[in-house]
Amino acid sequence: MGRMSFVFRRLLLLVPVAVGVTIVVFFMVHLIPGDPAATILGVHATPQRIAILHRQWGLNRPLLSQYWLFLDRLFHGDLGQSLIYGQSAATLISARLPATLWLIIYAAVLATIISVPLAMIAASRKDGVRDHLVRVVPLLGLGMPPFWVGLLLQLALALTLHIFPVTGYGAGIGGHLRSMFLPSLTVAIALSPVVIRSLRASMLGVLGADYITTARSKGIPGRRLFVRHVLRNAVIPAVTVLGINIGFLIGGTLIVENVFAVPGIGQLMINSIFQRDFPVVQGVTLVFGVLVVLVNLLTDIAYAALDPRVRFDR
Amino acid sequence: MTHRITAARTLIAGVAVTALAVLAGCGSGGAASPGTSSGPVHGGNLVIARTIDSQSMNNTTVFDNESIWIFEQIYQPLYTVSNDGKGVIPDLATGYTVSADKKTYTFTLRKGVKFSTGKPMTSADVKFSIDQSRAAAKGWGYIDTAIKSVAAPTPSTVVINLKFPWAPLLADLSLFSNDVLPANYGGQTETAFYNHPIGTGPFKWDYWHKGSALKLVRNPYYWQPGKPYLNSVTWTYVGSDNTRQLQLKGGQAQVDEFPAWSTVSTLKSTTGVTMNLFNSTRTDYLAFNEKRKPFQDVHVRRAISLAINRAALVKAILFGNGTPANSFMPPQVPFYQKATPGLQYNLTQAKKELAASSVPHGFSTTLLVSAGNSDQITTATIMQAELKPLGIKINIQQLDPNTATTNFQSLNYDMTFSYWTMDIPDPDELVTFSVDPAAGSKSFFTAYDNPTVVKDAHAAEQTLATSARQTLYNTIQDDAAQDAFMAFLYYSPYAYATTSNVRGFFVTPLGNYHLENTYLSK
Repeated sequence: MGRMSFVFRRLLLLVPVAVGVTIVVFFMVHLIPGDPAATILGVHATPQRIAILHRQWGLNRPLLSQYWLFLDRLFHGDLGQSLIYGQSAATLISARLPATLWLIIYAAVLATIISVPLAMIAASRKDGVRDHLVRVVPLLGLGMPPFWVGLLLQLALALTLHIFPVTGYGAGIGGHLRSMFLPSLTVAIALSPVVIRSLRASMLGVLGADYITTARSKGIPGRRLFVRHVLRNAVIPAVTVLGINIGFLIGGTLIVENVFAVPGIGQLMINSIFQRDFPVVQGVTLVFGVLVVLVNLLTDIAYAALDPRVRFDR
Repeated sequence: MTHRITAARTLIAGVAVTALAVLAGCGSGGAASPGTSSGPVHGGNLVIARTIDSQSMNNTTVFDNESIWIFEQIYQPLYTVSNDGKGVIPDLATGYTVSADKKTYTFTLRKGVKFSTGKPMTSADVKFSIDQSRAAAKGWGYIDTAIKSVAAPTPSTVVINLKFPWAPLLADLSLFSNDVLPANYGGQTETAFYNHPIGTGPFKWDYWHKGSALKLVRNPYYWQPGKPYLNSVTWTYVGSDNTRQLQLKGGQAQVDEFPAWSTVSTLKSTTGVTMNLFNSTRTDYLAFNEKRKPFQDVHVRRAISLAINRAALVKAILFGNGTPANSFMPPQVPFYQKATPGLQYNLTQAKKELAASSVPHGFSTTLLVSAGNSDQITTATIMQAELKPLGIKINIQQLDPNTATTNFQSLNYDMTFSYWTMDIPDPDELVTFSVDPAAGSKSFFTAYDNPTVVKDAHAAEQTLATSARQTLYNTIQDDAAQDAFMAFLYYSPYAYATTSNVRGFFVTPLGNYHLENTYLSK
């Protein structure tokens, strides 16, 4: 099977995944107690006002009828109107998505920048001082909750040294790079230990392989040996680990977004759930589902790019 | 087997140094300038960081304060709330006359007032605005229930005809739902107008990135000479208490709306920060559902109300920044009666009341709280301990806030917490909402029904003599306290932390702030 055919088939899988997500999410958010009219009206809610809002939103219709209407709109590219803001859910999501994507991609880049050299150092002297240091120090990042790491970074690099803004998303590429550095570093610090350990273990495995002994006996210098032969072969399991963790990250950036006041999709999701803003919850979940599938697809494609022996058989 | 990898070390050091250097130079940052106390200064952008985003700029249908406090900078009423929250002062009107039968009010409009488009405001705009507000069935239409018709006989005169004499008329007109908009929404549709609203206020619309930030800019046609001082105001949505404080300290925000009570004392002593506690009309209650046993029994309600140590709650929840409540009406509202005894902490009396009740040996009940609301959870835990000596076992039920609110409004609870802040400088709205089961709110969602209190509440609406109204409201407060339809817990101030260079920032007891007077000192 060719690469394009593989990609096409995986993209086709998005359709049943998306439909499945809509079914689960639609009925979950509608079956749990709570009413968006309660959010809008607050203590001023009366049965009459609630009834007016329900009629206006179509919430007085049978649930299946509401779901059918949702699907009908979806196939026409319409995620519906936010009940709280009275604005298109797609517009709300598209306005927030870039910040979350920035956070995820920036964090993945920083995690790679942190993990690869550290894993190489650790693997270069198995059970040596540097190895132990590399194995222990990142565990601190894993052991500390992201909101705490974020707070420490804010205090040190923003409030004390004034290198970065305390919070925010920034404006323009330069502004985003600067403002999103601390939140992305926070995520990267949480992500790196897993990647480092995975990469280190792979490297140690590769270092024991016959072809490395052969390469070494040919007199290939250490640096070239590591980069060309060891790293390239060891990185595949690490890519899997990174891909899976990015998949989790897509739905799990809420805390970091909250600490750094990043106007991302995670905050939108949680607020919409609390407010029972059904169209937005459904829309955001759909986007999450699609993104996770896409990240997994990219991970699979990355295999092939890194290892020509990998074939697109499935 | 060892491999020395100098490249990796170089890479780490290089990446770290280069990234910090490059990123530090990217974008732009800003720190708060130190404050000095010179006179008003023009310019600057005031950033107000708050916990909740706005919902809509539709002043006739929106109920959340986070929307109201913003569009009050754009739209203005004929009369506005005075700084003490107990009366009104002229705003877009300069005065009025009233007919002998007290049913016709003629208002004179302020001259030279223009909308932010440059178009002059006339009586046609006022008539259109009040008529729209009256028609808002799902919104604030009920507040104008006494109004029969509105006329605009001349461009500078508005006549309001009432169905009957109505004491709270000026207070009702000061409500934001009666703010003046351009007639026929300035030629736009209603939806288009509220997406880019226009008014006569000190600021005009710039943008709203929903769920993130909303910005208003100076209205060049504002009628008060030289005001507003600020070029713009931006409200940002920052959910974390801690993050808002860091923004304040880092100069990214100048106002932190409602910092956590636990941080107030720290903020008071923080250099570069001013901690403001403004008088408010916020009153917190414990609501009893009289549709459920044993809360129909007044002795049970009294026993619980008497067993609550309010001073301890003020200390534990508000960190001392509040006072125990004696009435369901707050001290900042006209006709509040300080002498109303309320039912204050008295365990002996509480035991006597329970002994006289239908459940003399106690009972089990559920206290509904909003999950994640630490104040409610702490209060519930304290009450759980306080009611135990009476034999009342409280099961704390935590539901997510929306579900908790829905259950409260549909009377699907035993006991729960609620609160109120005044919308108008008159007790009528609160009193009717709280004690009249026919008013739609089921007596503040408690099903309380005392015909005497309801009768007095409606009599007070149409009694114009101040002393007679005071007598009626005194009786209402006494009766409501003895009926203990809710346990009145405490009054708390509005907490706003600002950077020290913020001047002229004032919040009325109703929560409104007039940013035309606010400036950032050099």
